[in-house]
Amino acid sequence: MKINSSFLKNLRVITAIMVITACSNDSTVTNQLTVQESTIEQVQKRGVLRVGMSTFVPWAMKDKTGELIGFEIDVAKRLAKDTGVEVEFIPTKWSGIIPALITGKFDVIIGGMGIIPTRNLKVNFSIPYDYTGMSIVAHKKVAAGFSRLEDFNGSDVVIAARLGSTAVTAAKKYIPKAQLRLFDDESQAYQELVNGNVHAVVGSAPTPEFQAIKYPEKLFLPLDKTFTSEPIGFAVRKGDFDTLNYFNNWIGYVESEGWFKDRKNYWFRTKDWEKMIK
Amino acid sequence: MLIFFILAVACVWIAYRITVKVHYNWNWGVMPQYLFRFDAAEGRWVAGLIVQGVLITLRLSIYSIVVAMIIGTVMGLFRTSRSPFKRMIGWSYVEIIRNIPILVWIFIFYFFISDQFIPTIGLDDPAGSKSEFTRDLVSFLFISPAQFPAFLSGLLALGIYEGAYITEIVRAGIQSIDRGQWEAASALGFSRYHQLRHIIFPQAAKNVLPPLAGQFISVIKDSSIVSVISIQELTFQGMELMSATFLTFEVWITVMLLYLLICLVCSLGVERLEIHMKRGMV
Repeated sequence: MKINSSFLKNLRVITAIMVITACSNDSTVTNQLTVQESTIEQVQKRGVLRVGMSTFVPWAMKDKTGELIGFEIDVAKRLAKDTGVEVEFIPTKWSGIIPALITGKFDVIIGGMGIIPTRNLKVNFSIPYDYTGMSIVAHKKVAAGFSRLEDFNGSDVVIAARLGSTAVTAAKKYIPKAQLRLFDDESQAYQELVNGNVHAVVGSAPTPEFQAIKYPEKLFLPLDKTFTSEPIGFAVRKGDFDTLNYFNNWIGYVESEGWFKDRKNYWFRTKDWEKMIK
Repeated sequence: MLIFFILAVACVWIAYRITVKVHYNWNWGVMPQYLFRFDAAEGRWVAGLIVQGVLITLRLSIYSIVVAMIIGTVMGLFRTSRSPFKRMIGWSYVEIIRNIPILVWIFIFYFFISDQFIPTIGLDDPAGSKSEFTRDLVSFLFISPAQFPAFLSGLLALGIYEGAYITEIVRAGIQSIDRGQWEAASALGFSRYHQLRHIIFPQAAKNVLPPLAGQFISVIKDSSIVSVISIQELTFQGMELMSATFLTFEVWITVMLLYLLICLVCSLGVERLEIHMKRGMV
């Protein structure tokens, strides 16, 4: 009798647990349903555009006062202003930025994200608003005499790059034989290069160029220009064409003003902003 | 003394090697402004990036410890319960959590579990829907409302994780009390609740305080792992700063010294507490 009643009690607890699990499944269903209200409509209702980004000099970085500055920050601020909402930046680790977008931690990624087919299968991209390319910066001693991309394509060559960035895709495509050493942050990759532990770093221009200027006695630029050209777009969750349409037309509208070119010049051709961070 | 001397020599030697061999351009001059800076607009000193990170780390650690203590105490009681069902729950919790790496657990919790309940309690977007007062309260107690959902899932993930270790400490504490104490209390007519409340807990508390305090320090250190889900605590701020300024060594050394300082203070506090308690026993 005693055993039976305690068994019943347990059964009740187990049922309760099952009900809770069922409820949580329900909430996933409602989440999917509410997606039918497009992201841009939700943004207007909320009055805040939540932007996912990651520190990447000079696309986005924090200045001395802790404020975010950079090319992408300017773009996102302008986008929010033109939409009539506030902007809120959510700094996220680059390697986890796509899962964070998909699980709804923010509305859009504006972070210099290169449009590549494999990424595009996971998220939707706007039309490109900017083009970037990969450059390579090498160590003077370790990679002495390297002057062409083919020189780096050897199994004894070690290349550092940022985990999950298009630099990795480019390196695998153009110098497939080289070994890759991947880091969560770009600065760690460059530190590894300055320490002489790798032959070169592959990264989006103009950071490799800036690093070569910073350490002239250690680093050099083996190629005189970028070896890829990549379109850059906003990333949004899949299937949200209302939002995508809005972003595409906003890009067209701003581009015709020549605004992107002007901002790009400021962040990429000049170093006037450097005193803001140090 | 000799050990400190050897350590100091080792540090100087490493610093020398970095400067000479790697040609690292040390730039300590810019570091203080990331700790505290003078805000000209407001006319007062404000916390820099790193100190903001320290404040988040401290809040995160304290709240996680509270969550872990609650879970740990309940589960510790379950582990020592007479009901096999409760014992099974306690056992499963401890064994599942302790056998998952904390990094994996934090990712799983943030991307899969927290999504299930954080939207339902309406904390999803405190920036828009809640009143000014609620938002100020959240910023004061926790973090800016925009980052609150991530902060909350980090806090809970850490609390649940550390709770498993506290469960074992509580269980060990209760089991360290001699059976005779239970039997004597039972013979005097105490109910099981009163046995625990008046006889077992006061004695067990003395035994568990030192390992518990050690666990608290471990929570502070483990809180650095939530930087992977972009909570802007000390480690995250350090990494961001490093990406922006490329001052790799200066930033890491500062971050390390700050963790050392916080944990050392706690550790010395625990030592004092233990001495004090020993005196109390005599």
